[in-house]
Amino acid sequence: MSLENLRLALDVSVFWEYRRLLLAGLAVNFYVFALAAVLAIALGFPACLLRLHRWRPLQWLGTGYAEFFRNTPEYVFLIWVHFVLPLLISALIATKVNFPPLLSAVLALGFSYSGYFTETFRAGILAVPRGHLEAGRALGMPRRLILWRITLPQAARQMLPEAMNQLVSLFKATSIISLITVPDIMYQVVQITSTEMKPLPLYSSAAFVYFLVIFAMSTLVRWVTEGWRTRGWA
Amino acid sequence: MRESARETYANLSPVKPVVEVVDLHKSFGALEVLKGVSFDVQEGDVLSVIGASGSGKSTLLRCLNHLEQPTSGEIYIAGEPMGFRISKGRRRADSQANISRMRMEIGMVFQQFNLWPHMTVLGNVMEAPERVRGLSAAEAREVAIFFLDKVGLLDKRDEYPARLSGGQQQRVAIARALAMRPKVMLFDEATSSLDPELTGEVLDVMRALADDGMTMMVVTHEMGFAREVSDRVIFLHNGLIEEEGPPAELFERPRSERLRQFLSKILH
Amino acid sequence: MGILSRTITNNFDKLLAGLAVTLEVSVIAFVVAVSLGLTLCFVRMYVKPLRWPAILAIEFGRNTPIYVQLMWVNYVWPDLFGWPTSVFTAGWTALAVQSSGYLAETFRAGIEGVRRGQWEAAYSLGMSPALTMRRIVLRQVAVTMSPSIMNQFLVVVKSSTLVSVIAVPDLMYQALRLTSIWFEPIEILSVTAFLYIAVVFVLSNMIKRYTDRLRLRYT
Repeated sequence: MSLENLRLALDVSVFWEYRRLLLAGLAVNFYVFALAAVLAIALGFPACLLRLHRWRPLQWLGTGYAEFFRNTPEYVFLIWVHFVLPLLISALIATKVNFPPLLSAVLALGFSYSGYFTETFRAGILAVPRGHLEAGRALGMPRRLILWRITLPQAARQMLPEAMNQLVSLFKATSIISLITVPDIMYQVVQITSTEMKPLPLYSSAAFVYFLVIFAMSTLVRWVTEGWRTRGWA
Repeated sequence: MRESARETYANLSPVKPVVEVVDLHKSFGALEVLKGVSFDVQEGDVLSVIGASGSGKSTLLRCLNHLEQPTSGEIYIAGEPMGFRISKGRRRADSQANISRMRMEIGMVFQQFNLWPHMTVLGNVMEAPERVRGLSAAEAREVAIFFLDKVGLLDKRDEYPARLSGGQQQRVAIARALAMRPKVMLFDEATSSLDPELTGEVLDVMRALADDGMTMMVVTHEMGFAREVSDRVIFLHNGLIEEEGPPAELFERPRSERLRQFLSKILH
Repeated sequence: MGILSRTITNNFDKLLAGLAVTLEVSVIAFVVAVSLGLTLCFVRMYVKPLRWPAILAIEFGRNTPIYVQLMWVNYVWPDLFGWPTSVFTAGWTALAVQSSGYLAETFRAGIEGVRRGQWEAAYSLGMSPALTMRRIVLRQVAVTMSPSIMNQFLVVVKSSTLVSVIAVPDLMYQALRLTSIWFEPIEILSVTAFLYIAVVFVLSNMIKRYTDRLRLRYT
């Protein structure tokens, strides 16, 4: 273990020098995260309802959707969406189509994580005690009303902790978007390293920044959900 | 207080009691649960401990095998101090190794059975003889089979605890404790978690054990059992022995008012 | 096979070789992660002076993305520690660092979840704390936490796709290499994606059946 190298690794001056670029990169991570999160939730919810439908074929559709995206590695899907999907669409509409990297990133992560959210929502809905639904039915409430007024409000509370964990996970996943040249923080680090030739402090700083952000996020989630649990909400 | 309490006892009876408790105090934080309990249990005795919830009955039992550490007072198992040693006139905590060794001579049966779910019935009973007493697997199996047969569950030996009823699980727990051939058996409300129709089978095993001459201390709410099987009964109230004596006396001619109230509540 | 191009059929063996590397790096990483995770868990719970370093290591593993850890292990560690010396080692090391944090917390939750009575029954029979942990507690943790633990293996397999970035010749690396040589991204990448999905799906099913069987037996 070289002390000289340790000093180099902890040399924050390089990070400070390039802080604008690096933080701009981090902002891109957040931006992609926000869009992908919206997409994932927007897709995950109907998929979840499909999965819980009474009609078997729709159930299989929902399950297939969730299983497909949960079993696909995010990086593989990212590459596929960015390089293959445009070609398929080009062939279909006979015009050359190219996806901007940002779009590919949002689509890939959004669809990928919608699979996880399908499961999260499903678990939340199933966690609502059967007795509550039966009470609704015994009172003559129509199914749609039961869904809206009894199931969903309670399910929302049950699923929130896990959903928040999934969102933190999604943010972690945005780290791979640099691989399709989205200018996020890792992309900037790689660029700067290739010119400055100082991998130690930059990679360490990137790791540290990510750690701080994600640790803060997950601690916040833990703190909020603990509060809910002690108050009997979730 | 009395460093030579043991000598006092030794002078009174030539045979050493299996369990000796001298001025036992136990506090949990600010709450004092046992406020100075003293008694002894002779070999072959069956001692029942009765009292209201919170009177300290379970705590008393758990101090005997050091699952709870006494705040003050002394406990002797077969003459040996439990959980502490006197060296150079000072009292210090005993080693984990010594405590574990002494626990081999004390069998405990819990209210929640506490069978290990990842082992079969036979595995549960064999485990301690094999791993703690150091018997070979074959010897441990023999011992286990013997005691499983004694509690009437030999046919269930390859089942997992989850498949057994509460009464069956508790009987296995008794066999598990017996397999170590302890000098004294402690029963901590052994039937309180059981459905009424299952308590009988467990009480029968306990009764047979008593008839065989096992030294037993039984914390229980089953007054019938306490009256028929015990040699002596202790009524614990608020961490102190309110009254003690033979069951006939205690149940028919209770002297203290509190015991009378307690009995009327339990036995109506 | 009409749908698969020549390129694929000619080079399928390369893809399979890549898949073998993927599985190799994943298994090594997982085994190391379980050992490391168990060690970190014990240190965190029972070795008072090292509690905070252990927590730091655990939280670092859990709160940094795998790609970042991979870069860090591959480019910074050799200069700091003189190790790892090969990209393959860097690959499984980073994957292990990732999972060991999560597994340490899983083990801790499992150990804390074993009811007190289980410990007390063992103690009352004269078993030492170490023996109790080994024969009674850890075995139950293995059963109750098996879904989480085995699921982590799936996470490792999915994350392993990133080791291609540091030139470990796994399935993804072979696929990208073939694509750059033969320019048939649709076929090559789709087949690769399909292979990954199939492997993960099969593993996931095996795991589910195994853990269901465990649960059924003991509860």
